[in-house]
Amino acid sequence: MSTGLKGYSPFGEIEELGDGLFRLNIGPQHPISGQGRFIVITDGERVFDIEMDIGYSHRGIEKILEYKTFVQGIVPVERMVMLDTSNILMGYVGAIERVLGIEPPPRANYIRTIVMEINRILSHLYALGLLSEAAAWNPAVFLWTTADREPFLDLLEMLTGARWSYSFFVPGGVRADIPNGFIDRLRKTLDWFEKRIEVYEEAWIYNELFRMRTEGMGVVSRQQAIDWGLAGPNLRASGVPYDTRKNEPYAAYGELDFRIVTHNAGDSYARGWARVEEMKVSVDIIRQALDNLPEGPVKTRMPPRPKPGEALFRVETGRGEMNVYIVSDGKDKPYRIKISPASFRNFFTIEMLPKTQEVLLADVPVLIYSFDPWFLDADR
Amino acid sequence: MGMELVGRVREVLGDVILQITSPRENRLYVKVKAEAVLDAARKLKEELGFDMPISAGGTDYPKKNVIELFWIVWHSEMNKVLILKCDVDRENPVVDSLVGVWPGVQKFERETWELLGVNFKGHPRLKPLLLPEDWTEGYPLRKDFDLKPYRSKWGEKY
Repeated sequence: MSTGLKGYSPFGEIEELGDGLFRLNIGPQHPISGQGRFIVITDGERVFDIEMDIGYSHRGIEKILEYKTFVQGIVPVERMVMLDTSNILMGYVGAIERVLGIEPPPRANYIRTIVMEINRILSHLYALGLLSEAAAWNPAVFLWTTADREPFLDLLEMLTGARWSYSFFVPGGVRADIPNGFIDRLRKTLDWFEKRIEVYEEAWIYNELFRMRTEGMGVVSRQQAIDWGLAGPNLRASGVPYDTRKNEPYAAYGELDFRIVTHNAGDSYARGWARVEEMKVSVDIIRQALDNLPEGPVKTRMPPRPKPGEALFRVETGRGEMNVYIVSDGKDKPYRIKISPASFRNFFTIEMLPKTQEVLLADVPVLIYSFDPWFLDADR
Repeated sequence: MGMELVGRVREVLGDVILQITSPRENRLYVKVKAEAVLDAARKLKEELGFDMPISAGGTDYPKKNVIELFWIVWHSEMNKVLILKCDVDRENPVVDSLVGVWPGVQKFERETWELLGVNFKGHPRLKPLLLPEDWTEGYPLRKDFDLKPYRSKWGEKY
């Protein structure tokens, strides 16, 4: 423990380490940090080490779930990521369905797919807004992305009754069928949204200034991405064509035709670009799901108790692959449930970056937001 | 494909395997002896190509007096998922860390150390991650850790 200078800075508390080095605490009360802390060792310009400190919002969800029946567990699981609740919930519900040995009816699968893709768009819009904010595009793009989430939130309210955490998926299907007028409204919203993506591209993502700010920053090579276990759009931006929706299809993804967005650069720009491209893919998936929407029931009966056994269910959330490993002992509660969310994997990649390349203190916010971190997800 | 891979894993790992099952097309559960887990992991990575760690953790079985640890890895070319397991003694849970083989398991092993009290030999950074730094109340994910004292008054009513 150094007893050197302690003072206030816009980055929080500073501690002098000698040799011109300082330890900065970015967070846990800081606009760029969220509910966590980045401990940065710097000489004022260059960053030599980043250490992640998470756990400020640890709720012990894995332990709590051991005390809840399968249906009761939906509520705590959903609270992991408020922006992306249905993708997160799909991981939990899918694992339970696998251990119970039931398959939802086809119409439920398609409705799930539509809701999950809307959620992915919402999640990516928010991520892009924060990235633009960190790259000094504030307030324009952040306000655009926030405002453009509204029509989708209204649609989800129409379908599920809530704008956030709708608990819409249950083991065996979805809670309700699509209401009248929903499909037309969704199609119109998608047409409008496609034009909005063009605006983002023109004004921001293909803008020379944004490219200069982010290109070549925070490069993660293909091999590093695999070794460190990166997830989601971040992994695909490093050139690994891995998408759980394609590699291990769940819901209706196996029956739909879509592409995997990859980029070879692996830098902050590629990660932002990948999210914009993925929104286009999501629009395409929703259109296909609407075109092929089958008729029939939306829910099957759920058996009260599973057989003893274990199951692993993987799902592609907005931030990347989440896997749920569930061990059942035949009771109506899980014996053990292990949730490995995407942010938990992405966060610890940020730690590795100063070890492989030059990172500047001024780049840290952009770097962090290019990974789309979410502390509630990582903390569980 | 699935059966073929089972054969390959059997061949490469030899007699350290205690149990091997493949319940789904691209799932492979392999249980090995605890003392051989590091060697098995290295062979799985170098000879079979399971390169990407996607999860790790453990399950507590007080009746059997063991903690079953698992590491979940993905094969980036063949698109297979392997779940490597081993049992460690519950009273003195020590196992080799697999950070040297799969760097990405570092955070998962750190979490398991913290929440289940498993000591990973050779892990570079075993320090508190999710729990408060001054936490002394035990290992939350063990089965004998009871949540009841932590429930608020209104929680008991419902």
